[in-house]
This record gives sequence, structure tokens and C-alpha cells, in this order.
Amino acid sequence: MNAWFERFKFDGRRLILRNFSFQFFSLVMPAGFYLLFTKVMVTGNVPASFNVKYMGSMIVYSGTINALFGIAAFLQRDREAGILQWCWLSPTGIRPYYLSIGCWSLLMNTSSVVVLGGIAMGVNHVSLSVAQWGAIAGIAILGQLSTMLLGVLMSFVERAETLSVLSNLITFPMAIISGLWWPLGLLPNWLQPIGKLMPTYLINDWLGRVATHGTLLTSDILGTGAWMISLLVVVIVSVRLLLKRSDGVVRA
Amino acid sequence: MKPIIQATQLQFSYGAHAVLKDVTLSIDPGEIIGLIGENGAGKTTLLNLMLGLFSVRRGQLHLFGQQPGAPIAKQKIGTMRQKDMVIRGVTVQEVLRLAAAQYPEALNVTTLLKNLELTAIAKQRLTALSGGQLRRVTFALALVGNPDLLFLDEPTVGMDTNAQQAFWRGIQQLKAAGKTIVITSHYLPEIQAVADRICLLRNGEIAFQGTFQALQEQYQQVEITCQTALPVAAFENLPGVTAVTKTGPRLNISSEAGDATLQALAPVLADLRQVTIKRESLTDIFVHLTKGVIA
Repeated sequence: MNAWFERFKFDGRRLILRNFSFQFFSLVMPAGFYLLFTKVMVTGNVPASFNVKYMGSMIVYSGTINALFGIAAFLQRDREAGILQWCWLSPTGIRPYYLSIGCWSLLMNTSSVVVLGGIAMGVNHVSLSVAQWGAIAGIAILGQLSTMLLGVLMSFVERAETLSVLSNLITFPMAIISGLWWPLGLLPNWLQPIGKLMPTYLINDWLGRVATHGTLLTSDILGTGAWMISLLVVVIVSVRLLLKRSDGVVRA
Repeated sequence: MKPIIQATQLQFSYGAHAVLKDVTLSIDPGEIIGLIGENGAGKTTLLNLMLGLFSVRRGQLHLFGQQPGAPIAKQKIGTMRQKDMVIRGVTVQEVLRLAAAQYPEALNVTTLLKNLELTAIAKQRLTALSGGQLRRVTFALALVGNPDLLFLDEPTVGMDTNAQQAFWRGIQQLKAAGKTIVITSHYLPEIQAVADRICLLRNGEIAFQGTFQALQEQYQQVEITCQTALPVAAFENLPGVTAVTKTGPRLNISSEAGDATLQALAPVLADLRQVTIKRESLTDIFVHLTKGVIA
């Protein structure tokens, strides 16, 4: 228990408290975008539903940035620095390490719900019931597991430079075609069906419907679940292959 | 006494390239073993096998009677790798507290920091430390679990002279406390000062295993120089002699069994003038052994 608690404290310090990149890119930037597109770059009255839905979009965007830039780079850097190997050599192994990073990732997503929700309430007077806020937090946390798993998968890229390119190539196109930055209807017709398959679209749509009392779609829920299970299988297989190659070398 | 490490006919290959060939080695509790050899001799591979980072595929290897990498064995092992960990956003004290929490019988972090003279940098971030300071923190991380067996891979690289001296003093204290230590290093004098035995690897094979004294006794390379009127033939068949050359009255005798050759020279000593005897140093022997000159 003590080992787990120390690990949790240790990772919290370096992942959140002393991590300027997370604070800026995952919290300040989405919050800035939210204010920009709901307060600054608008004329006339913005529909209340847009303020709510765009909050959901920015929550998903924050989680995506966090998973594909933050967590992926973090895990890759840890492996390069020999931290994973060090954990592997300790009696508790690497499981607590991944568990702690996973927990903190979820808490990081929670913090984006708190920050963006706070701004939506304070600045745009968004008013939701406690049940809605709870549902939004739950969906944001669990729904983002698929992007988090994608981040874990990307962290196995050998070089930091390659990872950076990969993160850019995946995150921004995915954010655009899944309608996080502007409505999906503005995209070309041929691109919209592809966008609707993205995990970020499914979560965003799910969040928007919960926040606006809309009808929940089973396709959002099943699609999110399918992404999660598929990526979980790919991550488990990849980790096993990478940790123990055929020549018997552990690459932790 | 049951050995802490027992390797029997251990082999390891990277693809078709054999890195370790039939290594048999036994290390008893409380021993300090110097694992020496040139780059690529197989030292780090052997260390990685012992740590469980590489899988044993041929031969046998046991640590504390367990397979390498077994949780019980991990509790008793401390490791100082060649590469220091630079973790962003955390201090020396924080990383040591995390490490201590992983072991059932860990040392007190504050006491350890004090003993290793790291208290002054305890609250500094790892990213702010110099190379030598990081090396000392890596040593502290190896010790914090209060291990019975320590693996130290090139431990003093990057340390300044004072830090090196403090480090070797620490090793002597650990030796007195009965810890078993496996050290790899290129610096023979360092190993010679602390190790009970050495294991010299050459091309993946153990070229020599034993004490320094045994090494010197086994490889008594001697160069004898003198002036004499006696012919070369009088010396060629003496025990241990490998070469005899004569230039005018000056005679050079090379021997691989110094004591035996000198004893055999006793009857003719009266005919020899200006005799000088040069024994090879341990470093010379190491160079010869690693180059395969002595086989």
C-alpha cells in the first residue's frame, strides 16, 4: 500500500504539479479556445446549446491532447531514461507504474472537466443539473480511455522526434474531422462518415447529448466500447511483444 | 556455503552472434567479484542475464536459488546501471523515497542521504545535478533497498577524484557488512583494491577466474636482462623461457614462469653481470589476457 501511495504521489508531482506542458496545453489552451469561440469571436447572441456543446468539445480536445501528446511523450521519455527498466527491476515491477500513470491520466481528464465546466458556468452561465455534470465527468473520464490507450501505443515509437510528428499527424486531423474545432456539417460530405467513426466524435456526440438532454445513441456507446476493447487488445499484445522479444531481451 | 549466484554453462546469443559461451561461475555470500574485460567481452550481457533483463535460454543461472528476475530475488538485489536516470520534475529525496517504498527492508532515506553525503542536494531536482552527483544518487538508489547483492556497472565513470575515493570507502564498508558485490569496470586498479576475486571475460568466455595473487602466480611474465659471455644455447632450454636474444654481450631472456627460470639461473649467476629483472604489472597481464596473448 505504501509502495502504491508513494508511486501515486511521485507521479502526481511530475505529471501535474510540476508539468507546465500539461497545465498549458491541456488546460489553458482548451479553456482559451472555449472563451475565444464562445465570447470573443462571435457576433450577436450565441445559442445556449452551443456554449454547452462546445464545452464538451473542448473537454474531449483537452483529453486528446493530454493522451496523444502528454501521456505518449511521458511514457516514451520514461522508457528512454531507463525509468521503466528501473521499475521492472524493483520487487513491485512495472504494473504499479502503469496503474499510477493511468489513474493520473483519468484525473487529468477530470481536471479539464472542472476547469472548462467552471468557465462555462462562470462566464457563459451554463446551467446543468448535478446528474448531468456527473454524467459528463464520467463519460469524459471513461470515454477517453480509448485515446489514452492510443497514447500508450504511440509511446512505443523509438524516437522522440518520430513521436512528435506522429502526435501532430494524428491529433489535429482527428480533432478536425471529428468536429471538435467546428461542426462536422461544415466538412466535405465524403469526410463526414469517416469523422463519425473517430473515437473523439463518438465521445463528443455522447457528451453533447447528455448536456443538452438529447436522445442518447447506442452507436456512440457501442462505438466507444469497440474502440476501447480493440485498442486494449492491441496495447496488450504490443506490450508483450515489445517487453519480451524473440531474442529474450526485455525492453522495459 | 550456498552460492548466491550460480551460473552453469551459460550461453547467450544475439541472433547468430554468440556473446557468452559456456560461462560457469559461482559467487558466495560476502564476496566482491570484479567482472572485467574489454568492451564487447560480454560483461553487460552477463549482468543483464543475472538481473533477469535477458532470458536464460541455454545453461542455468540462479540467484538466491531463484530464477533471475523472480520477485524474491529482486527484493535482495540493488543495481547501479551505467546510465543514470534523469527524471524530470522530482527531487533526489523524492526519488529515493519512492525507491525505498518498493522494498520490504529499505534503509531510512534521511540516514542514507547523510551517509552518502547527499543531504545538501536532497531537495534539488535530478535535472539540476551534475554528472558526478547523478552517479552518486544512482548509487544511493542501488543501496536504498538494503540489498544483500549489489550489481555495480562501471560505477565511478563521471565521478571526480574525491567522489571516487568516497565511493570506494563506501564499498569497503559494504564489504565489512557482508554484502555480496559484483562490479564491472575497465579500471583494474579500482577493482584490485576491493575485489576478492576477478572474473576476466574474453570474447564471451571466462579467460581467468580467481584471486589477483593467483593471477600473478599463474602469469609470471618476466624479462631478464644481463651481460654474459655464455652462449644463447645455455639459456634456451631453461624452464619457462619463451625467447632468448643476444646483442654483443647483452642478453635478453623472456619467461612465462619467472620463479622457475630464476631458480634455474642460480648455477650460472657468477657468469652474469648487471642483471635486471622486470615483472609484468597486473595491468600488463590484463592487457595480455584480454588481447589473447596469454591463453
